[in-house]
Amino acid sequence: MAAVRRWTATNTVVLFLLTLHVLLVIFPFIWMIYSTFKTNKEFMRSVWSFPTSFSLDAYVGAWSGGALGGYAVNSLLIMAGATVLTVAVATLAGYALSVYRPRWMPAVELSLTAAMAIPAYVALVPLVVMLRGAGLLDTHMGVVLPTAAFNVPVTIFIMQAFFNTLPRELFDAARMDGASEWSIFAKVALPIARPAMFTAAIVNMIWVWNDFLFPVVFINNPARKTLPVGLTDFVGEHITNYPVMLAAILIAAIAPLVLFIFFERQITAALLGGAVKE
Amino acid sequence: MSTSKGFANSHNRAAFLFLSPAFLLLAAFVAYPVIYAGWLSLFRWDGASAPVFEGAGNFVRLAGDPIFWRALGRNLLVALSAMVFQVFLALCIAYCLVRIVPAFSRILLFFYLVPVMVSEICIGLLWRFMYNPYFGLVNAAFGALGLDGLKRGWLGESGTAFSAVVVVMSFTYLGLYVLLFVAAVRSVPESVYEAAEIDGAGHFTKFFSITIPMVGDAVRANSLLAIIGSLKTFSLVFVLTNGGPNHASEVVSTYLYKMGFGSFEMGYAATIGFTQMMLTAIGAWLVFRYLKRTGVGGRT
Repeated sequence: MAAVRRWTATNTVVLFLLTLHVLLVIFPFIWMIYSTFKTNKEFMRSVWSFPTSFSLDAYVGAWSGGALGGYAVNSLLIMAGATVLTVAVATLAGYALSVYRPRWMPAVELSLTAAMAIPAYVALVPLVVMLRGAGLLDTHMGVVLPTAAFNVPVTIFIMQAFFNTLPRELFDAARMDGASEWSIFAKVALPIARPAMFTAAIVNMIWVWNDFLFPVVFINNPARKTLPVGLTDFVGEHITNYPVMLAAILIAAIAPLVLFIFFERQITAALLGGAVKE
Repeated sequence: MSTSKGFANSHNRAAFLFLSPAFLLLAAFVAYPVIYAGWLSLFRWDGASAPVFEGAGNFVRLAGDPIFWRALGRNLLVALSAMVFQVFLALCIAYCLVRIVPAFSRILLFFYLVPVMVSEICIGLLWRFMYNPYFGLVNAAFGALGLDGLKRGWLGESGTAFSAVVVVMSFTYLGLYVLLFVAAVRSVPESVYEAAEIDGAGHFTKFFSITIPMVGDAVRANSLLAIIGSLKTFSLVFVLTNGGPNHASEVVSTYLYKMGFGSFEMGYAATIGFTQMMLTAIGAWLVFRYLKRTGVGGRT
């Protein structure tokens, strides 16, 4: 057994340096939060000081001064659609990758890994042509389908990592009872997989919510824009009132942060599950 | 014997059926568009009128387009900086969190992960304030240190724009690698460290002669992740500088976006993306072949 480690000067110095570094990394966020309570006049007088009064004008201005609410609804719809689609197909595929080992499975794994390495912008121009042809440009579905597809490979690996942790005997027992492969999946695997699916869903929600490339290219109609895209418009229009601008940025950033605060354990587990597989 | 063969057949069929929804989605919205990009790269097309067949014209133009090659070079520089300021730095931080201040590792890791969760657009907009030439915090910090000569419009000057973007990237993605390395460093058995401690090894020795060799798999996986991410990079560059000023911070993605949706040269935009992907594939193939021959590749 290791003796109880003494807290030494080294520990203090390291803790101090790490704390300083982490504060530097998140300083823009801290500054954003306290600056939103300033009035524009106070902000212009001293940009970096803490607020001397407590004003919610910036939030009122941000919410009423633009279409943020509408953007948020669009983001929510696209997020829900893409997440459900991705997690549904990735659960099936991740299960297959974990449980069955046909000779061609390594080729499937290799092509999924290759798909993960393809930058989305390579597909950008062709996707515009395809979506236009299908009448899906400027629609939520037009963003949902390609977004879901690009998130599928890593989500498959997250689900596969989960199914790999299950004992084989679980499925073999059902197989001996003569259950079909589908009913083994639906009645044995799926019920236990619910927490893992939830985990995969949370990280997908964050990815889709934050996504920018597909929404900015596929949607031009202001009424259908997502929050990050709408935010860039909003910032252009409110260039003179900084606290209002910062409040709008905070409104766009808050949903993933709230998810992270509540589901930190699941999110870190999912990120580990998707990355360990390389 | 026949039963096991029957099992294999039914397993093959089940595996195929369970994989098919995912592969249909991937075929329609990843594989087909990528191949289609190869086809479109043979045409001159403004996105509206009929495409004009060009043959290799776009590729000839691309081969002599210095903006593209410099943009591709910057993607590689992003990858290089990610190896140092994201992967290696994250490994150092992970060691400190796990081995030196474990009681505080959870809370510190939480805050390192905050930028990973937030949209790159929000982060980029916030950093535009930090770099603001008139009231930005970066200039204020140099002013406070008495280094007024270093004050400048970081994102607006061609000499500093790209470095300024790279700094933001390092801050933004660092937390992901800290998370991945914390898990890897934790998995190194305590007994190995204890043996080294008996020999009087300090943290420096333990980090370089125990941790780094023991987490080799994680180093490889995370490096690969960082390189892939660097080649994909778009949103932060777009919102911070949009590749400017005068292409000084242009990466492949922003150049493609400008060509396709700014100047409506859709065929040329497809050529840019397709070429970048093919070059990446060739590069990856060469690296893997090299690793295989020299035997450093481990289980790859």
